[in-house]
Amino acid sequence: MEKRFMKGCEAIAEAAVRGGCRFFAGYPITPQNEIPEYLSWRLPEVGGAFVQGESEVASINMVYGAAATGTRALTSSSGPGISLKAEGISYLASAQLPAVIVNISRGGPGLGSIQPAQSDYLQATKALGHGGFRTMVFAPATLQEAVDLTYNAWEYAERDRNPVLILMDGCLGAIMEEVELPPMKELSTENTEDWSLAKVGGRTDNHMITPILPEPALEMLNKFKGFTYKGWEFSDVKVEEYLLEDAEYVVVAYGIAARVAKEAINNLREEGYKVGMIRPITLYPFPKASLDNLDYSKVKGIIDIEMTIPAQMRDDIELQVKGRCPVHEYGRSGGMLLDDEGVYEAISNIVKEGE
Amino acid sequence: MKKSFVFSGSGGQGIMSAGIMLAHTAIDMQKHSTFLPEYGPEQRGGSAKCTVIISDDQIVSPLTKKCDTLIAMNEQAYNKFSGDIKEGGLLVLNSSRVASGMDREDVKVLAVPVDDVALELGNVKMANTVLIGALVGATDIVSKEAIVASLEAKFAKKKPEILELNMKALEKGIELGKAHKV
Repeated sequence: MEKRFMKGCEAIAEAAVRGGCRFFAGYPITPQNEIPEYLSWRLPEVGGAFVQGESEVASINMVYGAAATGTRALTSSSGPGISLKAEGISYLASAQLPAVIVNISRGGPGLGSIQPAQSDYLQATKALGHGGFRTMVFAPATLQEAVDLTYNAWEYAERDRNPVLILMDGCLGAIMEEVELPPMKELSTENTEDWSLAKVGGRTDNHMITPILPEPALEMLNKFKGFTYKGWEFSDVKVEEYLLEDAEYVVVAYGIAARVAKEAINNLREEGYKVGMIRPITLYPFPKASLDNLDYSKVKGIIDIEMTIPAQMRDDIELQVKGRCPVHEYGRSGGMLLDDEGVYEAISNIVKEGE
Repeated sequence: MKKSFVFSGSGGQGIMSAGIMLAHTAIDMQKHSTFLPEYGPEQRGGSAKCTVIISDDQIVSPLTKKCDTLIAMNEQAYNKFSGDIKEGGLLVLNSSRVASGMDREDVKVLAVPVDDVALELGNVKMANTVLIGALVGATDIVSKEAIVASLEAKFAKKKPEILELNMKALEKGIELGKAHKV
C-alpha cells in the first residue's frame, strides 16, 4: 500500500482512477473543484477522458453516455449542482446505468454558503431525483474510508446497474490526512459485456434509454428495482457501532459530525458517563437494526448530531426508536462548523439532565 | 501528545503553505496530522486560516474550537482568534504587522518581526518560512532536521537559489525562536 498525505477531494479522485474510473464530466462549484482539477490531468495519464461540461445538466448526461458504453464514469458537484443533475441521475436509474456521483456538500438551502455543512442528507437518501428511485449512499468519516468506498463504488454500481452516491461535506473535501492508496484495478468488461453498447458483439440490438415503457413493463421494472433496494438492507449495510454495550445515551452521527462526536464521547467516558455511538456509513441502506436492537431498558436517550439545522436524519432514527426513548438533536449549520467544545456541551447537557 | 495550531492571516501571506509544511513534516516524523483550511470566496487576499493538529495517536476530530498555538500574521487575525488560545498556550505574532500587545496573562507570547526579517534576507514572501523556523526554534513540535528536509523537498523543483534563500530564512527563524524558547 502506498501512503500519502492528501487533500480529501484529491484522495477520492485518485481512488476513483485506481478503482477504474475512466470518464469524468462536471461543472465547477466550491468546495469540490479539486476533484475535476485533479482528474483533468490524471485521467489522460491513464487513457481516460476528462470533460468540463458547459453545465451540470450537460455533464450528467455525458456521464449517462459514457456509462452506456460500460465505461466507469464519475461526476462530482455540491448541493446546488447536484440539484441541477437530479434529472440526469433519475434517467441513469431508469436506464439502469452504473455511475458514481460525488456530493461534497455545503451550507444550504439555495445557493447557501460555500463553507462545509451536511445539508443534503434528505436529498441524498430520499429523492436524488424524481420518480421514486433509490441509490446507495456512502458517507465516509475519514479520508481513508472515503478512498476505500470510492475505490469499490463501481462494483456496487455495476452489480445493481444503478448509480451510487458518495456524500461528504466540505471539511472532508478540503482536509489533508494520511491515506493508504490501493493499487490500480485491472479493468474488466465482465460486469458490463452483456448490456453495454461497447460490447454489442453478436447481439442484435441494444438500447440504453429511459423510454416511455408500456405500463406493465414499467411496473415490472419498478418491482425489480424495489427488490434490489430491499436486498441492500440484508447485504450492504455498513455501520460503525462504538461503545454501545453499556451505553445509556447513544449518539447517531455520520461523516465529519461523527468524528467530532466521537472525541466528545471519549471525553465523557473518561468522566464515567456511558455514551456510545452509531455511525451510519451507508446512509442508504440506513442501519436500521443497529437502532432497533438497542437495549431500551438501558438506553435513556438518542442524540442526533449533524452539521445542519434542523436535523435531517431524525425521521430515520425515530422510525427505529419507535418512541422507546426520547430523541434529541444538536447541530450547527449554514457554514458554521461543529466543534469539539460545542458537541461536548450539547451531549453532556442532555446526559447530566437525565442524571 | 496532541497539539493544535491555528495559522491565520490574509491570503498571500503563505498561511496555507506554512500549515501544510508543518503537518507534512509531522507525518514524515511518523506522527499523525490533519490540515484543515478555511477561506472565503476571494480569489486574491481575504482572510486565510488553517488548523493543523499533530498527535502521536490517530486523530479523531479535526475540528477544534480552542488551539494550543495561534500564529497570527496580521492584526485582524490576532483580534479575531487570540481569544481561542487554550490556557497556557502559545501566541506566535508577526510583530511587523501586529501592533497590539497580548492582554492575556495565561498565554506565552513569541513576537517575531517575520516580514522585516524576510525583507532583510531579500524577499517578504519568505515571511512564512521565517515564521515556521521561529515556531520550530521555540518549541519541540518537529525536529530541525525534519523541517529542513521538508523545505528541501518543497523547493526541490525550483531554482537552487530560491531553496538557498528559504533555507537562510528558516535558519534565521530558528535562531530567533530559540532565543525565546518556550
